[in-house]
Amino acid sequence: MKALGRVAAVVAAGATIAGCAGGPGSGGSGDKISDGKVVLAVLNDQSAIYADLSGKSSVEAVKMAVADYKAKYGAKAVVKDVEVLSADHQNKPEVANSKAQELYDRQHADVILDVPSSAAALAVAGVAKAKKKLFMDIGAATTALEGAQCNKYTFHYGYNTYMLAHGTGDTVTKDGSKNWYIVYPDYAFGQDMQKNFTAAVKGAGGTVIQSDPAPFPNDNFSTFLLKAPGLNPKPQVLGTMQAGGDLVNLVKQYNEYKLRDKGIGLAVGLMFITDIHSLGADALAGTKFTDAWYWNASPENRAWADKFQAKVSKRPSFPNAANYSAATQYLEAVQRAGTDGADAVIKQLEGYKFQDAFAHNATIRAQDHLLLHDVSLAQVKPASEVTEPWDYEKVLSTIPADQAFQPADPACKL
Amino acid sequence: MILSRLAARPLLLVAGLFLALALPWMIYPPVALDIACWALFAAALDLLLGFTGLLSFGHAAFWGGAAYVSSLIALHTGLPFPVAVLGGAVFAAALALPIGYLSVRLRGIYFAMVTLAFAQMVYFVVNQWRDLTGGENGLQGVPRELLGLDLSDSFVFYYAGLPLVLIGFVAVWRIVRSPFGRVLVSIRDNPARAQALGYPVQRYKLLAFVLSAGLSGLAGGLFAIGHGFASLETVYWTTSGQAVMMVVLGGIGTLWGGAIGAALVVELNDYLVTAGFEGIGIVTGTIFVLVVLVFRRGIWGTARHLLEARSGGNRPGEPTHGDTPDGTPARSRGVGSPA
Repeated sequence: MKALGRVAAVVAAGATIAGCAGGPGSGGSGDKISDGKVVLAVLNDQSAIYADLSGKSSVEAVKMAVADYKAKYGAKAVVKDVEVLSADHQNKPEVANSKAQELYDRQHADVILDVPSSAAALAVAGVAKAKKKLFMDIGAATTALEGAQCNKYTFHYGYNTYMLAHGTGDTVTKDGSKNWYIVYPDYAFGQDMQKNFTAAVKGAGGTVIQSDPAPFPNDNFSTFLLKAPGLNPKPQVLGTMQAGGDLVNLVKQYNEYKLRDKGIGLAVGLMFITDIHSLGADALAGTKFTDAWYWNASPENRAWADKFQAKVSKRPSFPNAANYSAATQYLEAVQRAGTDGADAVIKQLEGYKFQDAFAHNATIRAQDHLLLHDVSLAQVKPASEVTEPWDYEKVLSTIPADQAFQPADPACKL
Repeated sequence: MILSRLAARPLLLVAGLFLALALPWMIYPPVALDIACWALFAAALDLLLGFTGLLSFGHAAFWGGAAYVSSLIALHTGLPFPVAVLGGAVFAAALALPIGYLSVRLRGIYFAMVTLAFAQMVYFVVNQWRDLTGGENGLQGVPRELLGLDLSDSFVFYYAGLPLVLIGFVAVWRIVRSPFGRVLVSIRDNPARAQALGYPVQRYKLLAFVLSAGLSGLAGGLFAIGHGFASLETVYWTTSGQAVMMVVLGGIGTLWGGAIGAALVVELNDYLVTAGFEGIGIVTGTIFVLVVLVFRRGIWGTARHLLEARSGGNRPGEPTHGDTPDGTPARSRGVGSPA
């Protein structure tokens, strides 16, 4: 009797273990909304160099998108239960890779958002493809996401190296600064930028006199800055592709050497409003760059920025707004599709044309899943023209969506 | 006392094996594989740090180098993944030969610095050789191929990869228990005496370095295949630092301590990433400082020391200033003592 009981216990234990084995991966099929809810996961840098410009504030932006969706549709909403998760990848591709798997598998994430830095973004794109779940990248600039490494489940939302380089390189050259000296950080992003910038400058009839790679990261740019005035012919503009802390260092030293007074202007490849905020407007005054979105560019932008400020008590950077927009467009697509099944949602997103707080005249290109939208060529105001906190930029012109981004890359096969 | 120790060892081994098998049931499978890989990496490093008395600060070169080579083999030839991983391990061992040849003649901090310098050279080569390594973006989409089996589920892949880790652990264990291992310990404790006894000290150190690198490469290759990509992070110096930290946390010269350190660091990192707390480095750093200050023998080392102290009398863990270490060559040492 006792022995029989023991056998039963063992069998029961075995069955429990076997039951667990079926656990992962066997999500409820047939339901219109998997697990009865939609889960948006923001995977970004919340503790290292990109924490400031996106990080936790973008999580808040996504929560705003959820609140707005619920308010808009009320009882008609296809999904009643929307959950927002977040994780910190610390800019480490391995962490991004395993967290993404975990978010899709264990936390039932339906879409992953943001993911700055190219290596991490490409790693997550691979996971999205394998798990057949959506990934909308905002934080990374690499064109590989919509080029050779594109896939059906990955969308690139907001900006890329082509847009940054062409916006600035083309406009500044056409404005009369024909001769360029380019300094770029010697890693994938910098080289990509240098290539795109050179092409843009040449296309606009200018010349790149010289371009020099700088170590990354680097805190002393004097070699390049001292060399610039002596080049023959003398460059009219110094194009820097540095980002983050490197950019801050370079700009400070550019000012110390008074290159602007020597007739060498400054153009920046990639700059976030948080960079201007930390350097101060005067350090960058007059610098031209391409911005995917500026909070004070239009009354609509400003209205959204006010709502954002009420929650986060600072003005939004463009990745903040882009996260809001991506979450909104995802939820709208779920609403139109009537389900959160990845394939059905993708069908709704592909080729979709829309306007929202971030994206103006926007289309999600069906061939490569790149978001096309109007971007601005901006100039940093001198401190004397700054009238309120975070009021740093003057929008010089709008680059229309169809010219801002590259034509679809034939290497991309979805 | 000796009898109980004899009984305890197989028991611990069985418990460890059971734990290794049960791991993906308890935690998320990809994290479990990370722990297994880092555990082997830490054990391989301990072979050098704890048993030969050489603090290498450049093992990222072997772990990361193997990660790239394994990924390249898997990407370009489509061979089964164990072959790719072994290829990576062989590459790491081959890479360790010249690096080790030039560095083992140095001791202490100089050895650490030279290995660090070599690892940084490897890092720059990997970063610059973009056509092959993908530079900053790394190598993406590495397949997991094994006789046409479907290994896309990381739960399944854990069990496919575990044998490689276990083979690695058996190898480390065998090396430590062998006469060769005893010589290493004697070199650690008194190199002049070992030389006087007729052992070619440099060659022993070099062989230990190459073996340690090869086993690190085994772990690194599996890590890359498990993640499906190789990134620049794997060859960066912080990777070497993390491995050293795991060994110190678990206990230098304890072999199994590295596994505990690895489990702790990986699991903690995994937890903190979603905990919404910004100072991941602060937490791991604090734990590291606490362990170094309070448990100088590391977690496993302290536990073993306490057990042995309670069993009284015979304390094989304590230093005996003889030529041949009794019972266990693995003895606890303070941090920083390897010269």
